[in-house]
Amino acid sequence: MLTVLAGMALAVHAAAAPVQKIVHQKIEFWTFSMKPKFTPYFDGIVRNYEAANPGVKVEWVDFPWDIIQTKLVTRIVAGTPPALVNLNVPWADEFARDGLLQPVDALLAPERGRYLPSTLQDLTFGGRTYGFPLYSNVAVIAYNKQIFQAAGIARPPRSLDEQLAFARQIAQRTGKAGLCPALAKIDGLMMQQGLDVIRAGRAVFNSPAHVALIRKLADTYKVGGLLKDSLFAEDNFPAAIDAYKGGRLGMLLAPPTAVGRIALDAKDVYAVTAVAPAPLGPTGIADGGWLIHFGVPAGVDKALLPAVGKFARYLTNDANQLAFAKAASVFPAAARASADPFFTTVPPGAGAAEKAVAAGAVSMPHSHTLYVAGVTDYDELRRTLVKAVEAGVTGRQDIQQALDQAVAIWNRKLAKQFSVVGQGVPGSDPSGLLGGFKEHRSLPEKRCWLASQHSSLTPVFGSGFGNTMVTP
Amino acid sequence: MSRTTLTAWLFLAPALVLLAVFSFWPVGFGSYLAFTDYSLIRPTHWVGLDNFRYIFGNEMFVTGLVNSVLFLLMVPCVQVGALALAVLVNNQLPGIRLFRAAFYVPVVTTVSVVGIMWGFMFHEQGTLNYVLLLMRAVDAPVGWLSHDGIALFAIMFVTMWRGLGWYMVMYLAALQTVPADMQEAAILDGANRWQRFWKITVPMLRPTIAVCTILSVLAALKAYQEVDVLTQGGPMNSTFTALYYAYDQGLKHLKLPRALAASFVVSLLCIGVALCCLRWLKPKHR
Repeated sequence: MLTVLAGMALAVHAAAAPVQKIVHQKIEFWTFSMKPKFTPYFDGIVRNYEAANPGVKVEWVDFPWDIIQTKLVTRIVAGTPPALVNLNVPWADEFARDGLLQPVDALLAPERGRYLPSTLQDLTFGGRTYGFPLYSNVAVIAYNKQIFQAAGIARPPRSLDEQLAFARQIAQRTGKAGLCPALAKIDGLMMQQGLDVIRAGRAVFNSPAHVALIRKLADTYKVGGLLKDSLFAEDNFPAAIDAYKGGRLGMLLAPPTAVGRIALDAKDVYAVTAVAPAPLGPTGIADGGWLIHFGVPAGVDKALLPAVGKFARYLTNDANQLAFAKAASVFPAAARASADPFFTTVPPGAGAAEKAVAAGAVSMPHSHTLYVAGVTDYDELRRTLVKAVEAGVTGRQDIQQALDQAVAIWNRKLAKQFSVVGQGVPGSDPSGLLGGFKEHRSLPEKRCWLASQHSSLTPVFGSGFGNTMVTP
Repeated sequence: MSRTTLTAWLFLAPALVLLAVFSFWPVGFGSYLAFTDYSLIRPTHWVGLDNFRYIFGNEMFVTGLVNSVLFLLMVPCVQVGALALAVLVNNQLPGIRLFRAAFYVPVVTTVSVVGIMWGFMFHEQGTLNYVLLLMRAVDAPVGWLSHDGIALFAIMFVTMWRGLGWYMVMYLAALQTVPADMQEAAILDGANRWQRFWKITVPMLRPTIAVCTILSVLAALKAYQEVDVLTQGGPMNSTFTALYYAYDQGLKHLKLPRALAASFVVSLLCIGVALCCLRWLKPKHR
């Protein structure tokens, strides 16, 4: 009897086994600010991957963008990091320096060539790549045709000088502001314009060329050409788009998603909106590049890494990037996806929002996240620079004097961090923005890899105008 | 230990345990960490006064500390204003309940809503400038939040506006405990309204004034929410407060030891000023 029962139990177990889902590997990935708009997209990703990869359980977690860093550090310290996490380039740089991210070259290797080189370059610190590029926001110029007409301007600007000249003309002829640059990110603007922020371990943003740039901004500010609301705020994008939607701003430098928002919120302004690609700086870098990617945190189980790599490549493959980019009006970081006709052709009867996608696609290959990497307390130093620029632009202090004072503060702080070893790495940086630096001996050992491997103190990419954390 | 004392401790125990876990321990441990290089990701080392040397050498913190002290200017304004309002709404006038409610609404309004609302008001093309221009009181729009000489005072005004109703209610409650017979006796003695206010009402309100003043001083020294929603420390770092610096360093940039050191300094300042207030405002006799 017992034998019969045992036989029956085994038979039942054997019959049940094929339908029971056995989970061998669990991959948790984090995004920021994707819910609820992109819930169907990510649910689809998870469902399809699990169906194609039996034994793998994928868990998607979404956080608001402003708390994801704290959550990540906490989970890494607790020893339970997610397998993949959405980051931007400055965060990735800082986390990589702190040893909180793993290089992903080996995981990328099979399909490295699939991504746009500029995006991989943004994520390469010390010769190692720290993420799977996902998408980028690239700025376009949305301009109000009525305001342009009233100001006697017939075409969109083709350079920063023209943007400022048009802004002055708009202010003088219509009494409205022409432009709202993100001057809290003046370092990015300087870099985009080919002006060094740091060279050979010293701050150099007080040269005559830098002063001339700030003077142009000051002249435009003085005649009311720059939107004064939140001009120097860390994130002045909400003020800029509100002013544009209210018909108080002539030009808006923003990603195509913003043009979609104008279509929804201010139909009358949208009806008179035209778009054009944002001008490239003398460096050939497009405005407003802001790459978002998936990084692999430190502490992810080594045995899980091949599966993580496979999933990350799937998550960022051409088809998925293209689907996401279409839904979110952002630009894919995968080469084939970014060349899709969706981005390169404008359908007949297209509105400004659709044209913005095509205009942004023109700039995408020239897109970089402009950011001075590798400097401890960089945000604090930047605040000093912004304060000086604000004093100069608003006329409260002589521009040269304000920049000189900020440079002195920077150099005091930089001297504690770095000792000069050269005048840059010849050939490593065609824009001449990069320097060759060696970390000071007193710095923690974990930072020393920068000395030999970091492509520079600053992979110096980023943006000055419209560069903000715009989530899709 | 007597049975009564034991019973008292037993009743206090649950609250004390909660306080110990969620107040005393975090405050004590946080104070200790202000003297370390605590970073979540590395072993912690004692660094003595390094963090304090850093923050006192930092322009933003020093500006913040000065601004926090400047916020104290708001204390007499808010206390006098709240007391005057309480005296006013203590009268049985038509529609007085609506008036009381109107002054209390800002107290229960969340800071984000306050930020959005005052953002509109202080905007260069906002309501305030529109009215001032209409009245020809100014020639050009005033940069309420974009001028470094004005922004801090604009924020102080919003903080004051938010707090006024709260203190008004406290004074109103206190006013209603002032015995009517004392007022009547004074009237019989020929005291006028002003004399009755200074000789009877104010002395009777002295404990409430002391409590409200201390709360107001602490709120002024701890100001940061309004800064965050209105200016984020700008323009030109002119609206940084000491606690906003702590928030900025600790939660935005994860520089926890600096944030803890700044919080430690603010706490010491709060304790010091509160003790001074207690000494000066303590009722001279019961």
